[in-house]
Amino acid sequence: MDALDVNNISVGYSNDLIIKDLSVSMPKHKITTIVGPNGCGKSTLLKTIVRVLQAKEGAVFLEGKAIHTLDTKEVAKRMAILPQTAQAPSGLTVFELVSYGRFPHRKRMGRLSKQDYEYIHWALDVTGLNDLRDQPANALSGGQRQRVWIAMALAQGTDILVLDEPTTYLDLAHQLDILLLLQRLNKEEGRTIIMVLHDLNHASRFSDYMIAMRDGAIVTEGAPNEVMTCDYLRRVFQIDAELISCPYSANPVCLSYQLCEHSVGCKVR
Amino acid sequence: MTNKQWKTKSQLKKERQVKLTALIIFILISVCFFISLNTGHIRLSPQETLMTLFGQGTEQQSLILFDFRLPRMVIAILVGMGLAVSGAVLQGVVRNPLAEPGIIGINAGAGLAVMLFISFFATVSDAPVFAMPMIAFIGAGGVALLIYILSYKRHEGISPIRLVLTGIAIAAGIDALMIVLTLRLDPDNYQFLATWIAGSIWGSNWKFVLALLPWLLVFLPFIYSKSSVLNILTLGDETAIGLGAHMERERRILLILAVIVAAACVSVSGGIGFVGLIAPHLTRRLVGDKHEYIIPISAMVGGLLLLVADTLGRWMMQPSEIPAGIIVAVIGAPYFLYLLAKTKD
Amino acid sequence: MEWSKEQMDEKEQLKKVKDTARPTVGILILTVGTLLLIFSLALSISLGAADIDFKTVWGTIFHFNPDLVDHQIIWELRIPRVIGAAIVGSCFAVSGALMQGMTRNPLADSGLLGLNAGAAFMLALCFAFFPGLPYSYVIVFSFLGAALGAGIVYGVGSLSENGLTPIRLVLAGAAVSALLGALSEGIALYFEIGQDLAFWYAGGVSGTTWGQLKVVTPWLCLALIGAIALSRSITILSLGEEVAIGLGERMGRVKLLSAVLILILAGAAVSVVGAVSFVGLIVPHLARRLVGHDYRWIIPASAMLGALLVVLADLTARIINPPYETPIGALIALLGVPFFLYLARKGGGHV
Repeated sequence: MDALDVNNISVGYSNDLIIKDLSVSMPKHKITTIVGPNGCGKSTLLKTIVRVLQAKEGAVFLEGKAIHTLDTKEVAKRMAILPQTAQAPSGLTVFELVSYGRFPHRKRMGRLSKQDYEYIHWALDVTGLNDLRDQPANALSGGQRQRVWIAMALAQGTDILVLDEPTTYLDLAHQLDILLLLQRLNKEEGRTIIMVLHDLNHASRFSDYMIAMRDGAIVTEGAPNEVMTCDYLRRVFQIDAELISCPYSANPVCLSYQLCEHSVGCKVR
Repeated sequence: MTNKQWKTKSQLKKERQVKLTALIIFILISVCFFISLNTGHIRLSPQETLMTLFGQGTEQQSLILFDFRLPRMVIAILVGMGLAVSGAVLQGVVRNPLAEPGIIGINAGAGLAVMLFISFFATVSDAPVFAMPMIAFIGAGGVALLIYILSYKRHEGISPIRLVLTGIAIAAGIDALMIVLTLRLDPDNYQFLATWIAGSIWGSNWKFVLALLPWLLVFLPFIYSKSSVLNILTLGDETAIGLGAHMERERRILLILAVIVAAACVSVSGGIGFVGLIAPHLTRRLVGDKHEYIIPISAMVGGLLLLVADTLGRWMMQPSEIPAGIIVAVIGAPYFLYLLAKTKD
Repeated sequence: MEWSKEQMDEKEQLKKVKDTARPTVGILILTVGTLLLIFSLALSISLGAADIDFKTVWGTIFHFNPDLVDHQIIWELRIPRVIGAAIVGSCFAVSGALMQGMTRNPLADSGLLGLNAGAAFMLALCFAFFPGLPYSYVIVFSFLGAALGAGIVYGVGSLSENGLTPIRLVLAGAAVSALLGALSEGIALYFEIGQDLAFWYAGGVSGTTWGQLKVVTPWLCLALIGAIALSRSITILSLGEEVAIGLGERMGRVKLLSAVLILILAGAAVSVVGAVSFVGLIVPHLARRLVGHDYRWIIPASAMLGALLVVLADLTARIINPPYETPIGALIALLGVPFFLYLARKGGGHV
């Protein structure tokens, strides 16, 4: 079974649909990445999957069950999300913020249980935040803060992690740092990871499955070597690229690229 | 207090810190309480006050103490608590540190209702005593509802900024409307109304204490039980949804709670603003951003604040009194401006 | 606005402003507006607690006879009041237009930004401590008060890290108004001058006298002329500071001059009619709709429309519920509140 199935959804306002009649599936225990140019609807798709936006028509199925029929707390026990613009109130420590991830598991008024503490400490460990746990979250650097949010999502203890551009605003090393962490979570713990990425090469290198979108529809989907081809890149991004094989993952990555109108053609080395 | 072994050192330290803060504020309130008992038109020495408290005073002394000062002080503390908690809830829900009950029209609505009410009676004393807080309560709730409806947009729900702007506009409109009505009032009613609007804690007898207390006893604990939801709401819509909060529903419930508590308070105290703004802010300075701490501590801070304001108002220009609301505004507005200059969005 | 400053070359932006400007509409508004204004002035003079026909009005103006009661009513009460209304309307509207242009803030208005509250506070002080102060001094206090209110609001706004956003200004305005309002209330309660102040607050032009007009008018004429002289620079300022600097505008001087003009306009207007909000909010928006984004047209058009609005509001206020007068402040708020809500709902928008 797939982790998530999207069946014929349309999203947007009645006369202005951003996504129209779209269907796609995201495999379990894999890293799935959605790519596409600005305004192609990839964030909209992601927000619909995590029920921030409501589909006008169609439905999203979480492990076979329509997500809007499930109790939102139940969904939160199975799927965690990390929005693009997550903001913490200024007076929270890292530990406090990560502990909020236990919200769906807590009863009203309940204090944190032993299990809650185990999850929180584990999440801090995995993300390497143990030394920073008593710092105010807002005083951390961009890369560290992103780790805090990931730790909070991990503390939620879900099989599925959904991330909206987790590497935006980070420098090169920190981008890689976050992606390697996600890869480790996938490989070692079998977590399903679904994310939107802007950087094509990162998407290709780290994902098992790619979905390419344009104008609110899916152009192609499949393994990176099926999606990262001259033809599709041209159709999705209107670029001609020089593709080489990534030395770390053997997936295709762009060496450089040019807009189609100025280009001398596509190359695969 | 289970799970002690799981808590980090700094967490335990923080809990101690919060308890200490609570203790200090409690002591401050007690001190102010005692000072306030001695303050007023007729002076009582600390000794006389103590004597009277233990039933040893003259008849006049116990009348002043038990029938005038004490209920008024209790009301001041209760109202301060209620407004502060209401403000803390609003700031969390609206996710704007500048929100306070006045912004969602509580004061304007209550003021308008009271004004309409007394304009039906020749003099204030003709009006039934308990009708006044009821009317004020309804007015406050009604205007809050109006503002909520006006700032609601389909597909988007309530945007904090729209809520704030709508609140300001409606309050401005009500102000203009009230001026029309003011002109027709006879001078006695006018004087009463002006003092009411200025936040004079007019309902100062034990009946009003009893009228206000149940509301707070029911709703403040309920709000406290929603602390973890408030925590989640401050993280933003998407994160909150991701964590499984019923966003719109919880937001609505909390807004309603905040309105009820604030309206109940204003209905006995008159138009008092800024307590709901300052108290939660000071509290956050003291204990950080977790609502499990913010709610109880800001209640205490609010109580202290209004008690001090009321005492100052009685003391500053004796024999005449300055309404507590004016004192609070004079302290609160500059603080608000300072916050405004400091916050980023 | 469909274009943003990042996407467009500065010169192109200016051109766009010029293209969207509609001088013909502007001229039309000014001519038709003048006619309408004269008409409504005449109407307003003749209607009232005692109706007086146009002929007598005409007679009063051109062959004044101090022995006739009608002539006296018209000369001593109606005419100053109506002229006062027109002048005050222009002032509030132009000060609003200047503020909106200068701060690029669609919600700017002298009432919402603390100017009126400041002027009112100073007047409360005057009432309490110097009752019977001559009007020419009162008006100076009023200027000072407006400056006080505005100074605090803008001071707070400019101290903050992200500068003056529309929201921040409105919030600061609300807080400053609350503060000054509370102080005025305290003074009023202590000196028991509350209802006197309320009458004045309520915003009525009914008490306008020739004496007041004589003091106020020169200020206003100067300020209006100044505003029109500055209008080209305001247009450039309204495109954003970076663009303005790029186009070689001397920002500091223009801002200082417009600030002074705003204070004079709002302070004087408040000293005549009391705190009337929303005129400065509604009118410039309307003018912009009609004549485009060029302040050379917006400012005169605002002056005209503002005068019309307040004269008509005053007229309505008198005939709604005679013999009582409904305060015009309330009437205008009745229009202003929904309009403000509409702007807020639209998302603030741009200027």
